[in-house]
Amino acid sequence: MIFWLQLRDELWKLFGKKRTYIGFVMFLLAQNLVSVLFRFTHASRPVARVLEGNGYLAQPFLSTLTIASIMLVPLAGLLLPLYVALVGGDLVAKEAEDGTLRMILSRPVTRLRLLLLKWLAGAVFSALLVGALGAFGLLFARVWFPWSNLFFWNPELGIFGVFDPGAGLRHYLAAHALLVTEAVSVMGLGFMLSCFNVKPAAATILALSFLFVNLVLQHIPYFQDYQNWFLTYHLNLWQFMFAPVVPWWKVGESFSVLFGFNLTFLVVGCTVFQVRDIKT
Amino acid sequence: MIELRHVTKRFGARLAVDDLTLRVPAGEVFGLLGHNGAGKSTAIGMMLGQVWPTAGEVRVCGCEVAADRQRALERVGAIFETPAFYDYLSGRRNLELLSHYTARTTPQRIREVIDWVGLTGRETGAVRTYSHGMRARLALAQALLPQPDLLILDEPGEGLDPEGIHELRHMILRLHRELGLTILLSSHLLNEVEQMCTRIAVLREGRKVFEGTLAEAKQTQDWVRMRVGDFGKAVKLLRAAGWLTDERDGQFVTLKDGVGTDQIVRHLVGQGMAVYEIAREEPTLEDFYLALMERSSRGGRPGDPGPPLATGAPSRETGGKEPA
Repeated sequence: MIFWLQLRDELWKLFGKKRTYIGFVMFLLAQNLVSVLFRFTHASRPVARVLEGNGYLAQPFLSTLTIASIMLVPLAGLLLPLYVALVGGDLVAKEAEDGTLRMILSRPVTRLRLLLLKWLAGAVFSALLVGALGAFGLLFARVWFPWSNLFFWNPELGIFGVFDPGAGLRHYLAAHALLVTEAVSVMGLGFMLSCFNVKPAAATILALSFLFVNLVLQHIPYFQDYQNWFLTYHLNLWQFMFAPVVPWWKVGESFSVLFGFNLTFLVVGCTVFQVRDIKT
Repeated sequence: MIELRHVTKRFGARLAVDDLTLRVPAGEVFGLLGHNGAGKSTAIGMMLGQVWPTAGEVRVCGCEVAADRQRALERVGAIFETPAFYDYLSGRRNLELLSHYTARTTPQRIREVIDWVGLTGRETGAVRTYSHGMRARLALAQALLPQPDLLILDEPGEGLDPEGIHELRHMILRLHRELGLTILLSSHLLNEVEQMCTRIAVLREGRKVFEGTLAEAKQTQDWVRMRVGDFGKAVKLLRAAGWLTDERDGQFVTLKDGVGTDQIVRHLVGQGMAVYEIAREEPTLEDFYLALMERSSRGGRPGDPGPPLATGAPSRETGGKEPA
């Protein structure tokens, strides 16, 4: 029972800080902007060309769901990791920097329990941020586009999906459910680095650097055979939810790899934190 | 209540605490003295399980901290030099958050403690609006919430104005008097320690150079301040009478056992000398501390008796080991 009370307290601390809301505000602004640009520029023409080139009428697919999904790919690839890494990097290192960690650790709470509480609070934040990303996307796209069919295309992953509105919404929601794994993984990476004796900004920058290096390696064509080794490749598993037939074995494979990464991040973080001296 | 046995702590090549043995009995107000970097905060960090000792054993409330930190800290409250809080949350919310790391705390208990430290009416304000003194009181409140038997205070007066220091001192003494708490106070404010502590230990470069009661620290050669018409002549007269053992600074003398100041006055006046003042000198903790530091810096090991101090007692420790 006290565990839930302590988790609630961690969430109080996390959501009491203004910087926690940066991600929510930026998604709100970015998705609004993209929707407006799609509506008032010719940006939707290439989408129409792809659809028509494949024998579909474009008009029913220039919809809320399509625009929300188009926005989702870059935002989930670039902005989402930034904000979850920021919060993950803060979780331990910011408390150490501010001196509140020393106040906590003068109490009879184990370091492991403290870290689990913080990790869970970070996971809740990650899930909420993904929820906000999905909800804002639908909300702002709906202002300018009709509720209609979904079209999703990712040539890199070989996904070409067209769905009626009902199936489209299900696929959209399933993709967000799996997007939580990406957010939690990046948060977990920042969290692990935060357990070292580093400044919060350093933990965030190191986490993002690790991701970008992975991304660079993944996009060098000569490393195509090794892409299973790159974290960023598996972070894309949510996009498979937009495939007409979901390749569950691939999803399962990436999910297992991400689970392994997350467990490693947590174990390394806990070990480093356990042996560390906490001093001002 | 606290026991450190041959505790050593290294940070890389730097030796922060060197073979420290220390015992804080229950019911004491124990002062831990030393200059900045002497190892006081590291020693306290080891007592709270925040810093892991390189060697030795640390026990708090009968439990070994490294093995059973949770039980050891169940009835311990602590305050640090600059109390850190979640500034964006209220004082009350801060108390709730911190106390839940010990156990569930009732709103009634939180109200009691807020009232005790005199923060009633301000507990709902964000901590960022608190003055330094209010932060110190909030720090004391969070330390009191788990109903501790032991309070560990690491430089609690740091950054407070004289009024704040006075207020904090009275609160701490009240805690000792009314609740019977054992208190470990680390400070380099000698005046504070002198006014609050019953027993002290002095650290220098990670080593203990003194441990004993305040009275023992002040125990010294019995210096008597003597203001007379001609100090040199008076010394000669008293030596001739066989009553003098030492003299210094043109105004202090030490007398042989059994010789009273009344005898001295009668003798000198009888010899036609003007005596303006004669009084026993009460040494301060500062005198003792400075003399101890000076002797240590001259290279004397903590256990060495060293040259006689102007004021202060010889080190009671031998080679860093607890006396048998």
